[in-house]
Amino acid sequence: MTGRKDATTAGAALLVAAVVGLAVAPGLEPGVQDLGTTLLVYLTVAQAWNILAGFAGQVSLGAAAFVATGAYTAGLALAHTSIGWAAAVALAGAIAGLIAAMLAVPLLRLRGDYFTIGTLAASIAVQALLTNWNWAGGASGLTLPIDRIPAGTTLLRLAVVVAAAAMGLTAYVRYSAFGLRLGALRDNEPAAAGLGVAVYGHRFATWVGSSVLTGMAGAVVAYQYVAVSPSGVASVNWSLDAVLMALVGGAGSLIGPVLGTTIVYYGLTRMLEDFQVLSLLVEGTLLVLIVRFAPAGVLALLTRAARPLRRAATLPAAGTEPA
Amino acid sequence: MSADVLVAGLLSGGLYALIGLGISLVFGVLKVMNLMHGELVLGGAYLAALLVGSAGFDPLVALPFAMLGVALIAYPLQRYLLTGLLRANGSAPMVATFGLSLVAQAALQAAFGTDPRALSAPYAQAGFTVLGVRVQAVYAISFALTVVLCGVTHLVLSRTRAGSAVRAAAADPTTASMLGINVGRVYALTLAGSAALAAAAGVMTGVAQSFTPSAGLPLLLTGFAVMALAGIGSVGGVLLGGITLGLLQSLSTAYFGGGWRNFVVYTVFFLALSFRPTGLFRRVAHA
Repeated sequence: MTGRKDATTAGAALLVAAVVGLAVAPGLEPGVQDLGTTLLVYLTVAQAWNILAGFAGQVSLGAAAFVATGAYTAGLALAHTSIGWAAAVALAGAIAGLIAAMLAVPLLRLRGDYFTIGTLAASIAVQALLTNWNWAGGASGLTLPIDRIPAGTTLLRLAVVVAAAAMGLTAYVRYSAFGLRLGALRDNEPAAAGLGVAVYGHRFATWVGSSVLTGMAGAVVAYQYVAVSPSGVASVNWSLDAVLMALVGGAGSLIGPVLGTTIVYYGLTRMLEDFQVLSLLVEGTLLVLIVRFAPAGVLALLTRAARPLRRAATLPAAGTEPA
Repeated sequence: MSADVLVAGLLSGGLYALIGLGISLVFGVLKVMNLMHGELVLGGAYLAALLVGSAGFDPLVALPFAMLGVALIAYPLQRYLLTGLLRANGSAPMVATFGLSLVAQAALQAAFGTDPRALSAPYAQAGFTVLGVRVQAVYAISFALTVVLCGVTHLVLSRTRAGSAVRAAAADPTTASMLGINVGRVYALTLAGSAALAAAAGVMTGVAQSFTPSAGLPLLLTGFAVMALAGIGSVGGVLLGGITLGLLQSLSTAYFGGGWRNFVVYTVFFLALSFRPTGLFRRVAHA
C-alpha cells in the first residue's frame, strides 16, 4: 500500500528533521536561534490553521484568540504560580483547548462563511476582554519573570518540539482514515454523514486540536517576546499570517505551509518590515492572486512544473518519442 | 436609567443599521461575506474629507459625491474580479475580499497617512433638547438619513425592474440568466449599491467621530453584528437590528463603562450569530 509507505517516509523525515533541529540548536548564533524560533512559531500557527481549513474545510479567522490565550496562560501561570516553563506550555495548550471546547458550542453550529465570521468575532471579543482585564495588565499587558523563562537554545528547542507536534498531527490527518473522513466531510457533508461519518465529532476534534497547537505556539511567543499585550498577541495579524502562509504554500497538504511560511516570512514580513503600507499592499494582492489563479498554492504550481520532468525521467530514453 | 442614554443609543443605532444594510444586501444577493465593507465605509469618509478639506463642502453636500465615488470603485471590482471567483467553491470570494480590504487599507494609508481625521461640520458637536432629552444633532441627522436610505433601498428592491432583477438573481442565478438577466451586471450593481450605502455611513461616522485607515475592522464587525441580529434580506429587520445594537452599546457603556462597549457588541454578535443565524427579526418560515 503506497499510502502507508508515504506515511512511514513522512514520519521518518519528520523525526529526522526534529532530531536535527534539537541537535544543531546549541551551535547556532543567538540571532539565528531567534529567527528559527520565529519561523517555527509561524509554522505551528499556519499548520494548525491548515488542519482546520485545508483538511477540514473550516476557514477560521480566529487564530489570534488562541495565540493570545496561550501567551496569557503561560504569562499568568509563571507570574502567579511556581510551576516551571514547560508545565506552563502544557497548561497553555490545555486552556486553549478548553476555551475552544466552550466556543465550540456556538461556533460549530455554523457552516461556511458564518463559521469564519464567528471565529473573527470570537477573536475580537477575546482582544476586547484582555484589554479590559485589569488583573492581567489591561491594555498594556504583562511582563513575564525573565529569570524563569527559556531563551536561546532552550527556547529554540521548545519551538522545535511544538512545531514537530503540529507537523506530526498534520501528517496523521494527511495519512489516516480520520483524515480521509475529514476530507469527505469537507467536500460533501451530507454524503459523508450519510455514509456514517460522525460530523460533529470530527469537526470538534479538529477544532480543539488546532486550537491546542495554536495555544502552545502562543506560549512560545510569550517567552520570546517576554511581554504580552492585547495589541500584540491578540492582534488579528496572527490570523492573517496563518491564512496567508498556509494558502500561499498550499492548504490541504503537509508540506505546503512549510513552503508558505518560508516564502511569506522571507519575501514579505522580513523584507518589508519597515514599509508597512507596501507590506499590506503586497499581502492583500497576494491573497487575491492566490485565490484567483493558484487556489492550491505554490506547492501545486511546483508539482505541476515538475511533472513533465518526472515523466521524462521514467520514460525509456527513446529518440522516437514525439515531442 | 436616563432617557438620554436610551435616545443616544437609539440614534447611534441608525448609523449601525446603515453599515449593516450594505453588508446584508451583498450577502443576500451574492451569498458572500464582504470583508472589505469596513474599508468601503472608510472610503466614503476619506472621499468626503477630500471634498470638505479642499473644496470647503459641507459633509452633507459631499455625501452624494462620496457615495457615487465609492460605488464607482466597487463596480469594476465585482464585475471583473469577484464574480469570476463565485464559481470557485468554498471561501475563495471571501478570502479575496479580505485581500482587497488589506489593499484598500494600504491605499488609504499611502494617500492620507495614519493620523486620525474627522469631518468638521457646524452640527458635529451641536445638540438640542427635546422634551428634556439631550440629543446630538449629528446622530439625529444620520438616523433620519438611515431611515430615508432604508426606505429607498426597500422601494428599489420591491418596486423597480432593476430591483426585480436583483431579487431574481438572488433567488436563482441560473434561471435568472436563462431569462435574459445579466447576472454579472446585477451582482456588480449590487456591490456598487452596497458601497454607496457604506460610503453614506462613512460620511456620517466621520462627522460623529474620528477615523484612521485601520478603523475598518470594528466597522465591519458592527455591520456583521447588525446583520446577525437582523437576519438576511430584510430591510426593516436591519433597521431594528441597528437600533438594538445601539441601545445595547449605550446601556453597556452606562452600566459598565466605555471600555466594555466593544466587548458587549462582539459578544452579542457572536451569540446572535451562533444561536439564531436567521436573525432575531425574521420569521424562519420566510427563509
